[in-house]
Amino acid sequence: MVVPISFVRKGNAPMRKTGPSAPSDHGKGFSYASTLIGLALTLFLAFGCQAPARTPTLSAQPTPTPTLASTPAPTPTPTVAATPSPAALFPRTVVDDEGTTLEIDAPPTDIVSLTPANTEIVFALGAGDRLRGGTDFDDYPPEAVDLPDVATFTGVLIEKVVDIQPDLVLAGGNNFTPAGDIDRLRDLGIPVLVVYAASVDQVLDDINLIGAAIGADAEADEITSGMRQRIDEVTAALAGVDRPRVFYELGIEPEIFGPAPGSFVADMVSLAGGEPITTTDPAVFSISLERLVTEDPEVIILGDAAYGVCPQDLATRPGWVAMTAVRDGRVRPVDDIVVTRPAPRLAEGLAALALAIHPDTDIAPPVGVSTHCPSPD
Amino acid sequence: MNTGVAAARRTFARSGWVDALRHRPMALAVAGLALIVVCLVAGVAIGNVAIAPADTLAILAHRFLGWPVAVTWPQSAETIVLELRLPRVLLAMAVGAALSLAGTTFQGLLRNPLADPYVLGTASGAALGAAIAVLLPIQVALLGLGLLHLFAFVGALLAVAVVYRVSRLGALSSLTSVLLTGYAVGSLLAAGLVMTMYLSGNNLRQIFFYLLGSFSLASWTQLAVSLPIIVVGSLLIVSRARSLNALLLGEDTAAHLGINVHRDRLTLLGGATLVTAAAVAVSGLIGFVGLVVPHLVRLVVGPNARLVLPLSAIYGASFLALADMAARTPGELPVGVVTAILGAPFFLYLLRRYRNSYAL
Repeated sequence: MVVPISFVRKGNAPMRKTGPSAPSDHGKGFSYASTLIGLALTLFLAFGCQAPARTPTLSAQPTPTPTLASTPAPTPTPTVAATPSPAALFPRTVVDDEGTTLEIDAPPTDIVSLTPANTEIVFALGAGDRLRGGTDFDDYPPEAVDLPDVATFTGVLIEKVVDIQPDLVLAGGNNFTPAGDIDRLRDLGIPVLVVYAASVDQVLDDINLIGAAIGADAEADEITSGMRQRIDEVTAALAGVDRPRVFYELGIEPEIFGPAPGSFVADMVSLAGGEPITTTDPAVFSISLERLVTEDPEVIILGDAAYGVCPQDLATRPGWVAMTAVRDGRVRPVDDIVVTRPAPRLAEGLAALALAIHPDTDIAPPVGVSTHCPSPD
Repeated sequence: MNTGVAAARRTFARSGWVDALRHRPMALAVAGLALIVVCLVAGVAIGNVAIAPADTLAILAHRFLGWPVAVTWPQSAETIVLELRLPRVLLAMAVGAALSLAGTTFQGLLRNPLADPYVLGTASGAALGAAIAVLLPIQVALLGLGLLHLFAFVGALLAVAVVYRVSRLGALSSLTSVLLTGYAVGSLLAAGLVMTMYLSGNNLRQIFFYLLGSFSLASWTQLAVSLPIIVVGSLLIVSRARSLNALLLGEDTAAHLGINVHRDRLTLLGGATLVTAAAVAVSGLIGFVGLVVPHLVRLVVGPNARLVLPLSAIYGASFLALADMAARTPGELPVGVVTAILGAPFFLYLLRRYRNSYAL
């Protein structure tokens, strides 16, 4: 019996902004009292009309029929007849993941990416040569490393973005790019597309969305069909397998960090044929050792393998031998970036994760995924 | 014997220029204002994108003086200078002046050299307010000011109001009582802050950077909202400078001197809290400025609040503008770190030199 896999977010839908950001050019002279009243009104309105959460899409049914045609999900791509030249697609309107509408007049030529995932997507769409700025943690493809860094862990270097005069900025939602920075860029008249995927399906949507925004619809379609095919292949290979209890370890210092219920990583584990062991609440990212021992994972996946944690370390951790996974040696490293980054390599990441949970299934080995740890054999 | 005389002579010789300034507060004020102008121009000219100084000056002259300069610079340069750097420098100055004034006031009111603008719970109140705003599942941006700024402002005011109310219930002398209550309320709020941060998940970063303090989101609207509050609070404080002097002698003495102790203390406290709240609401928690600038000024001109207050404001403004310049040029460092790195060694140096001749 296979439990149906769903991409439905379990009640932790990140709050969307209410409509487009506030207009920028207000008069400078206003009284503080009216500001307060205005704020109270805005609060009321914000509570009154919260943007609806995204329609959940139930696409990856575990039926072993990988039909390419069944591309589900309301893709934001405008329907395109044949494949006209990119310029003919413009002007066009796209709606980003926070519901902000963007009018794009011509294919953007000076693109700035504020997340490593967006950088990867733009390169995969064959538009890497149109990127003028990226982040200081861009690591894939190799040429992305050389992009001028305009975003760091601390936020966006607004001056540098303005200096580039981009015609499209690809930001990350859910505070990956600080909301204040996004508002600031928009206030300065710079078009910002906010991209945020809370599930695997939404990653495919986002690739189509970015493809539409930069006029690479055909490329986006090719990538997402490929990903869909790979995901269906993994799903098919996992049909009927037992679903072990899986703990995906995100970090170990100073506490044990694991996926929150309904999080992207938890969804990936479900999709890869595991029963994810999660923290107690969507807002909590750490899990106590007591709880972990009680949940007794049958497989432990080391998402922190890239940071020097390897399977043989677990037996030396006090108390960890109590877990079935550690006793039976089912502790396996994965390449966390590929498994969790919402970018075109995600389908390979899913295959890698599925193979880590079910090494005996006949999933084709993932391409370009390393595990950082020496093989136990 | 000889060595003692030599040491005394050396001290005298070394501190000559400061002694000369001690009796010329007007010269100090003029020098401070000149420094402000220098900081303003330098702050606008320097940043993490290189813009030719000539272009910077031309943009300013073109926009503000209406000079008919040929536009040779790209539009982006004008945006960077006028929309990013200029409001940022001005906001840093306003906040620097506000924190220095508030620090002077709290040090005098509480007769405690360790007092800073945050001593009565302003910091914890503002931080908790900001953290709660970050956690609320709504995002409101109004006039360039988010919920975070409003909550931080209200949180700071509420914290001090609570401290003031509670401190009047006890039987301790009012000074001790205010200080200890401030500490207790501050600790309670800090615990709430840590709890909020623990629960904040993805938003932890936002709270964390608020706590570090930054002007990276400074805008004309932030300036337009915070400046009037800072000006009003500053005027309240400066108008009670004489009372602050009298209060330094103790409350009884001040009362004998004809000061309405209760009313003036409330005015000073209110003014200092108001400017601090406005400052932390737009810039986060920037330490050190409010603690040290008043001491630096006192080391030079002595304890007279009527001199220390305006001079603290002037030098606090340029100090924070300089610190912010140093913070943003290499990227975006937390400005609070820079204020400490720049200020602490200088402060230690002055303390060593004047250890015998310092009064609050």
